[in-house]
Amino acid sequence: MSYKIPMGPYHPALEEPYKLDMICEGERVSDAKLHIGFNFRGIEHLAETRNYIQVIALMERVCGICSNIHTLTLCQAMEQLTGQEPPPRALYIRVVMAELERLHSHVLWAGIAAKLMGFKTMFMTCFEIREKVMDVLQAISGNRVNYSMNRIGGVNRDIDDPLAVLAMVEQLEREMVRTVIPIFTTSTTARMRCAGIGVLTHEKAISCGVVGPAARASGVPQDLRRAAPYAAYSELEFDVPVEKDGDVRARLLVRALEIMESCRILRQALAKMPSGEFHTGEGKIVFSTGTATSRVEAPRGEVMYSVSWKENSRNPSRVHVRTPTFANMPAIRWMVIGARLADTPLIQASIDPCYSCTDR
Amino acid sequence: MNVLEAVPKENILERIPEKLGVADRWIEKGGVHWLSPGALKVRELALEMNACHARFVTITAYQLPGDQGFRLEYHWDLDGQLLGFPFLLAGNSIESIYDLSEAVDWIEREIHEGFAIDFLGREYEPLLLRQGDKAGVNLREELL
Repeated sequence: MSYKIPMGPYHPALEEPYKLDMICEGERVSDAKLHIGFNFRGIEHLAETRNYIQVIALMERVCGICSNIHTLTLCQAMEQLTGQEPPPRALYIRVVMAELERLHSHVLWAGIAAKLMGFKTMFMTCFEIREKVMDVLQAISGNRVNYSMNRIGGVNRDIDDPLAVLAMVEQLEREMVRTVIPIFTTSTTARMRCAGIGVLTHEKAISCGVVGPAARASGVPQDLRRAAPYAAYSELEFDVPVEKDGDVRARLLVRALEIMESCRILRQALAKMPSGEFHTGEGKIVFSTGTATSRVEAPRGEVMYSVSWKENSRNPSRVHVRTPTFANMPAIRWMVIGARLADTPLIQASIDPCYSCTDR
Repeated sequence: MNVLEAVPKENILERIPEKLGVADRWIEKGGVHWLSPGALKVRELALEMNACHARFVTITAYQLPGDQGFRLEYHWDLDGQLLGFPFLLAGNSIESIYDLSEAVDWIEREIHEGFAIDFLGREYEPLLLRQGDKAGVNLREELL
């Protein structure tokens, strides 16, 4: 006999509200349906009522984790419409902020995954380390969540002492290597809870258009930092970790390896950061009529902004946001089919979903 | 390795207009390769994108001034190159490509809810709105 189990919209396993209706045969899930929209705030419409400065502050609030990525993508699009070209130092600062954000996002996810595995000590360890990443972000920007770093034509604040930040990053890297990476890659608990669970096949990952670590864990080697470099990524060396198994463990391994690659990128960016201005100045910003598109590799995958402007208007006429979770979430259905009901909280968490981004 | 993987991506890009029977050529602007589809049907385009192993990215809808209708920009990614195809809609509908690419499902539903545009040949379930909410109230100007 089959029966329906609803998980959400408000449930201890979910970080934010959404609903997964699962049809079960005994302990196995035979099908599932997703419901979103519980965080819908109409931000795209709201953006049309804000001027080019206010809209940056608004879009920073699309997401509580990758807030910096949203302003970076938006500013890159607006720079195309205004002809403002950020100076080289600003491009490096943008890379530093983006990679620190990836670090804290991945470590946050590792903590939540540990909690869902029943590995609470690891949850506390991850959050302790994440706090140190947040300290670095706060030291640079003065803020812990909405950093307010990006502006049209550069960044709002300089990194006065890159070497001091470099020392903090090296300490972080040591702690990651000592605790987080070995435990997640070698511990029996992590392996037993994650291996062979929530498999998304390579073919399904492609047909669903999955992005970011979820795609790379299913053998799809796409990363915009490599395929379509922005900011200063074309001047930095890094690898794109790819796993083939498509299960929760593969998604965990990809993120663990990406933590190390982020540290590698940060070391290079801080060491090579050119001197000079970090924005184009306070001159008048004039928009040309047209549409501009920008893409960035956020911690969860590709973010895309399409921004449309009418000449001399202070407000955008349209801002469309395609977030990575919007692309990844439909694949959860295929990950949970055939899974044990008890594994579904961890499986849905394994794409690192952000419902705030998805609903906007 | 499939046949397409052996062909340099620039060549794949150059062949697309010819294979689609489109007279126009690619225009690169703002990091996007734009191709005006002319009289091409969106379903023919989707089939060709599938054949090229391009990854569907999104559709962005714009309402045009007055009664000019809508512009839908379809985007695919071909090995890091973002492709854009603008379709002009005089009315409120266009064929759905959901049956050709399951990645399209949510964005077609979102545009239907935001702009009250119908994607013909498919059924909808609520996405961001709740059951019974009126389509178009969020982004369609005359309904705001």
